[in-house]
Amino acid sequence: MTRLLITEITYMGPVFCVIGLKHDDDKIYSVRPVSPETNGWRYFPYGRGDVLRCDLAALGGARPHVEDRLSSRGFEKETTVCEGDVVKYLRRAECSSSLPELFGCVLHENTRGSGLFAKPSEASRSICGTETCNLRLDLCGNELRATLALPSGEVLRDLPVVDRDWLDFVGAALEERRGPNRVARIRRFLDSFFHYKLLSCPHHFVRLGLTRPYRDVCWVMLDTLFPLPQPAWLEEF
Amino acid sequence: MPAPLDAVRARRLVEECLRSEIGSKTPQPSPDQDLIETGVLDSMGWVGFLRALESASGVNDLGARLTERVPSLENILVALNDARAEVIRHNPDSTKSETQPTRTPVLLLGSSSEVGSRLISSEEVDRRFGMPVGKLRSRAGIESLAYAAEGEDELTLAARAAQKTLQAASCGAQELDWIICTSETHRGYPSLAARLHSKLLARETCGALDAGGACLGLLHGLAVAQAMIGSRQAQTILVVTSDVHSTVLMPGRVAGEFGGLFGDGASAFLLRSAPTNTQTSSPAWFALGEFFFGCAGQYAGAIRVAEAGGSKFEVHFDGEALSRAAITRMEKIIFDVEQRSGIARDSLAGLATHQPNPRLVALLARQCGLPEAKFPVVARKFGNLGASTCGVALDLLLQSAAAVEASARRPIFLAALGPGLLFGGGWLTPA
Repeated sequence: MTRLLITEITYMGPVFCVIGLKHDDDKIYSVRPVSPETNGWRYFPYGRGDVLRCDLAALGGARPHVEDRLSSRGFEKETTVCEGDVVKYLRRAECSSSLPELFGCVLHENTRGSGLFAKPSEASRSICGTETCNLRLDLCGNELRATLALPSGEVLRDLPVVDRDWLDFVGAALEERRGPNRVARIRRFLDSFFHYKLLSCPHHFVRLGLTRPYRDVCWVMLDTLFPLPQPAWLEEF
Repeated sequence: MPAPLDAVRARRLVEECLRSEIGSKTPQPSPDQDLIETGVLDSMGWVGFLRALESASGVNDLGARLTERVPSLENILVALNDARAEVIRHNPDSTKSETQPTRTPVLLLGSSSEVGSRLISSEEVDRRFGMPVGKLRSRAGIESLAYAAEGEDELTLAARAAQKTLQAASCGAQELDWIICTSETHRGYPSLAARLHSKLLARETCGALDAGGACLGLLHGLAVAQAMIGSRQAQTILVVTSDVHSTVLMPGRVAGEFGGLFGDGASAFLLRSAPTNTQTSSPAWFALGEFFFGCAGQYAGAIRVAEAGGSKFEVHFDGEALSRAAITRMEKIIFDVEQRSGIARDSLAGLATHQPNPRLVALLARQCGLPEAKFPVVARKFGNLGASTCGVALDLLLQSAAAVEASARRPIFLAALGPGLLFGGGWLTPA
């Protein structure tokens, strides 16, 4: 039986990808439970900070998704940890403050458009946490993208945001029932209030991940952004 | 802000950027086809396509304009048209486009370049830095380096290049409204521009400005000069680069793998607003096109130079990362210059680019599908000259252009990089 602190819930096409932290002796590391059928979960009724009991078995996952573990039965919720404490644990897990150390490999610039990618055979892991000096979200043709500055001064631009809570928040902000000028309003929020809320939060932290290999590359994405959005923020814009 | 795109140019740009994203084998989608739903592009490709279009069109908020719209070619063209309409609403004259610019056109009247008087073989430089003899030649492709002789420094090289340029254009120093200098090695005050101002005996009311950007400095200087002349703040401006690395990046201060790449040189360019009548006396005039700039911060860690106390420098130089960055980014700049200018790269006289080392020039030429001869030989003979690499390359291309009939002259592309990673591009066309 494994106890897993859920830290990531992301959208991966039609399913959710879930990552949690496992505590072995003094070591805290990331584990990605995968179902026997797919790499994700069609239904995942839990939230970040939930501590779940589950049975996990080793899985000969291909690099860089070395965190994959086969979940042989369902999850059982034990307790919930507050957001600030989740980040405390994340800071003790895989972390880096510079670009080459994120996934233990060179990250390449997309020569045609935007984004960064790793070559699957070069990356040694698929998830890593980092502090950021600054972070911005923007909407580009219906897609939510993040640009962030690492403590090293390096900038990661146009990362796809796959964090379930943040995508749901932006989706809710754009719902028709919210009236006119929704795009302009969410953009104004992202350019102002969001920035303040994020950078003034003591547990501001992000986790970056690599996609499953697609056409021989793994794209860098923003898996998790703390603080998580609060529904009340929707009333502010 | 570049001139707004007309419908024909917008359509061409959209098609070329899409083709670059989806390849030549995928059939062209219909105008109203949902590019994501129908699998033409995935979400990464869609955003990549939009970013490429933003960069090539100068419409920086194109992605934002397409939020809540179906991702189709038709909607992209509508968004580009909306952006054009907004520009026209704010500036009705802007529809005159690039053939009838509203800003005063800026001409390049003359140029010159100088390199350090001592030409030293790369093997000798290997020895000085305690590296295996032949390393610079075999690893970087450098055959020799131009080093400043005794009595030569940034000011003397700059002054020589400036005076030759003024003479070639029959322009007295008292005609200058501004002197714009850029140097990655000159430190201390009075600044290089101020010292050059005194050396040339420019009139007291001529401004003296120093522009930064290291190897990108020339493009910064040209863009600032263009803006000043274009807004009628000035009529005649001298833009000068000058870099003397050999007295700064010396053995004992920095590693040879870094310090051994650099030589010393300078360049100068005289810019003036186009005369109202079309009678021009100089056969070598070129007109400045547009410039664009940016900063690709993901490469900020590839090169960092800081003073480390005493006379030493702390240099962080990840040659491999820098090479990768240089090639990727320069290729993008050249693509963008091509799209923005509408000038095909195979019709160029040449490209005045930064040349970190000769190996990278060869690689860049191959990546861009261009003959290496389109890139004037600078780094191989003189070393990396900092901001002056691009300057010396541009001067060589202009001198070659002066030697041919006016009707046979062809455009020149400019592209350069600086630590950060700063980048910029632009173009010149025969006037």
